[in-house]
Amino acid sequence: MANSGTQSRKYRLQGAGLDLALPYLMLAPGLLIVLGVLVYPLWDGLRASTKVYRYGSVVADVGMQNYIKLWSDPQFLNSLWVTVEFVALSVTFEAILGFALALFCLREFRGIRLLRTILIIPMVITPVVVAIVFRLIYASDAGMLTAISEWMGGGQVQILGSPVKAFIGLVVLDVWEWTPLMFLILLAGLQSLPHEPFEAARVDGAGNWRVFADLTFPMMRPVLAIAIVLRTIDAFGTFDQVFVLTRGGPGEATRLVSIYGYDTAFKFQQTGYAAALFVTIGLVVLALAFSAVRLLRRVDAS
Amino acid sequence: MSSVLYQSVVKNYGALNVLRSLDLAVPDHMFLALLGPSGCGKTTALRILAGLDMPSAGKLFIGERDVTRLQPRDRDIAMVFQSYALYPQMTVGENIGYPLWIRGMPDAERRAKIDEVAAVLEIGHLLDRRPRQLSGGQRQRVALARAIVRDPAAFLMDEPLSNLDARLRLTMRGEIKRLCQRLGATTLYVTHDQVEALTMADFVAVMHGGELQQMAPPADIYDRPANRFVATFVGNPPMNILPVTLAEQGIAIGGTPVAIPAARLAACRAAQVVEIGLRPEDMSVSVPGAPNALPGEIYVVEPMGNETLVNVRLGGGNVSVRAGRDFRGAVGANIAVTFDVSNACFFNSAGLTAVHRVNSDGE
Ligand SMILES: Nc1ncnc2c1ncn2[C@@H]1O[C@H](COP(=O)(O)OP(=O)(O)O)[C@@H](O)[C@H]1O
Ligand SMILES: [Mg+2]
Repeated sequence: MANSGTQSRKYRLQGAGLDLALPYLMLAPGLLIVLGVLVYPLWDGLRASTKVYRYGSVVADVGMQNYIKLWSDPQFLNSLWVTVEFVALSVTFEAILGFALALFCLREFRGIRLLRTILIIPMVITPVVVAIVFRLIYASDAGMLTAISEWMGGGQVQILGSPVKAFIGLVVLDVWEWTPLMFLILLAGLQSLPHEPFEAARVDGAGNWRVFADLTFPMMRPVLAIAIVLRTIDAFGTFDQVFVLTRGGPGEATRLVSIYGYDTAFKFQQTGYAAALFVTIGLVVLALAFSAVRLLRRVDAS
Repeated sequence: MSSVLYQSVVKNYGALNVLRSLDLAVPDHMFLALLGPSGCGKTTALRILAGLDMPSAGKLFIGERDVTRLQPRDRDIAMVFQSYALYPQMTVGENIGYPLWIRGMPDAERRAKIDEVAAVLEIGHLLDRRPRQLSGGQRQRVALARAIVRDPAAFLMDEPLSNLDARLRLTMRGEIKRLCQRLGATTLYVTHDQVEALTMADFVAVMHGGELQQMAPPADIYDRPANRFVATFVGNPPMNILPVTLAEQGIAIGGTPVAIPAARLAACRAAQVVEIGLRPEDMSVSVPGAPNALPGEIYVVEPMGNETLVNVRLGGGNVSVRAGRDFRGAVGANIAVTFDVSNACFFNSAGLTAVHRVNSDGE
C-alpha cells in the first residue's frame, strides 16, 4: 500500500503542470527578495516624489511640482555645484595619483609585494572610521595637525572651521581613501598590457617619457575610462565621510547633494521633496554612466 | 651598417647558464643566421645585443662602439620581434614612421620615407589601418617595414616567420632574403628552422646549450659539420650516424667490413674515430650480397613524390636512405645499402668531426 502511495505521488510530481511551474517556483524566493528590497523601494520613492508630506503623512498630490521646484532651489543648486566640484577634484587627483603609483609598482624590486598590499589598506577601512580618524587629525584643539604645528612653534590649525579648508580637507580624505581603488584597477590594466610593443619602442628609440605618452597612455585609455566612470558614480553618492566629518558645514561649504537630501528628508521632514531630489540625482548619475559607456565604445572602436 | 661582435658574452638566470661565453663576430653586410633548437639561447643572445637584457659578463660591440652598457635606443639597431610587436593604437603608417618620428624627422620627409618602404613591402594600401585589422602576413610586413625604414647599424630578427602558415613562410623567406641583400644590411636572423638558415644566410652560426657549435657558410655547415650535434641538427632527414670499428685493412660497420682508401684509414686511425656519419642522399639501396654493402631489412618506406625515403634497419642501427621515386619494397624485406666512403665523415669519442668528407673537388 505504501508502495502504491509513493508511486502515485511520483506520478503527480512528473505531471506537465509542475514541470512548467518548477523553474518559477525555484526562482520565487530570490525574485521576492529583489522585489521587496529593490523594486518596491524604488517604486515607493518615485511615488513619494510626487507628493507633499507633513509629519509623515501625505497632505497633497503635486505631480511633477517637486521636480520643478528643485531647479529654482538655491540650496539644491549650490549642493549640486559643491558635489560636482568635489567629484571632479577628487576623481582627478585619484586618477593621477593612482596611475603614478601603479606605474611605480609595475617594476620589480624588493618589498614590492608588501608595498602593493599596504597601498590598498585605506580602501578596505570602513568609511565612517576613516572619517573619524580624519576628524581627529583635523580637529583644531587636540588634532594632529595642531599638535604638529604647535610642536614647530605655530598656533592652532583651523581646518573644519573654514569653508575652503574644510572642502579641501574633505577632498584629501576622499583621495586618501579611494586612490587605492584606482591604483588597483590601473595596476591590473598595466599588468595585462602586452610587453613586446614596449620593447619594440625602446629599440626604436623611445625614452621613458615617449614610451608613456605614445604607448602606455593610449593603450591604458579604456581602463582609465572605466576606472574614472566607476569612481565618479561612486563619488556622487558620497555621504558617510561628510556626515561624520562636517555634516555639510561650515555653512554650505561641504554640503553635497546627499547631505542636502538627507537634511531635507530627516531634518526638515520634506519627504516628498527629498525623494524627488534623489530620483533626480539618480537620473543624473545614470546619464553620466551612459555617456561614459558610449564614450568608451567610441574609444574602443577607433 | 656596421659589424657586430659578441665578446665572451655570458648570461645566467640564477643558476641557469643560458649563454656560456659566446664569441661571435659578424662582419659588416653579413646576413648571419643563428640556428639552434628551441631553448638554446638564441633569443637571449639577440635581446642582449638589442639591450633589452644585460649580459652577466662579456662585452658587445657594434662597429667600433662598445655598447655593453648602452640603452637600447642608443644602440642604433632595428629589431623584428617574433610576435611582430606592432603598436596597437597606431595606424600602420604611424607604426612604420615611429622610429623616424621619435628622431624628429620632419613630416614631409617622413611621409616620403614611409611611402617608399611601404611600396617596397607592398603595403601601401594598408597605411591607414590598425594592426588588429591586418592578417598575420600583413603584420609581418609592417614589422619589417618599421625595421627597414631607418638605416640602422644592424637588423635583428627573432624567428620572424614562425607565426606564419607554411605557404606564406616560403614566400616571405625569399622576400626577406631579397630585401636584406638589396639593403646590404648586417643582419642577425634567429631561427630554429634549419631550412630557413641554410637558404637565407651568408653564414650560419649553430648554437646548442648556450654554446656556439660552428659558424660557417651554409654549404660548409651541411658538408663539413664541426661535430655530431651540427651533423644531426642540420639536414632533413638528419645525417645517419653508425658506430664503426677500425681493423687492420679497413673499417667495419655492424660487423660488415667496408673498404676504405689507405690515407683515409690512416687518418681515422690517428684520430681514433668511433662513429661514421652519412647523409641519406649519399647512400643508396642495393641488393644483399653486393660488395661493400651493409645488409639490413626495410623498416619503413616513405614516398615523398619526387623521391622515396627508405628507413633501413642495419646491424648498427637504423639509417635513412634517399631512393628514387620508383622504389618499391615491402616492410621486413631484405635489402642492403651502399655508399662511397669518401662522402662519409667520422667522429671521435668526444663527438667532434675528426675526418671530414672528401669534397667533390677532391680535397
Ligand atoms: N627572463 C628569463 N628568466 C629565466 N629564464 C629565462 C628567461 N629568459 C629565457 N630564459 C631561459 O633561457 C633559456 C634560453 O631561452 P631563449 O634564449 O629564449 O631560447 P631560444 O630563443 O633559443 O628558444 C631557456 O631555457 C629559457 O627558459
Ligand atoms: Mg626564441
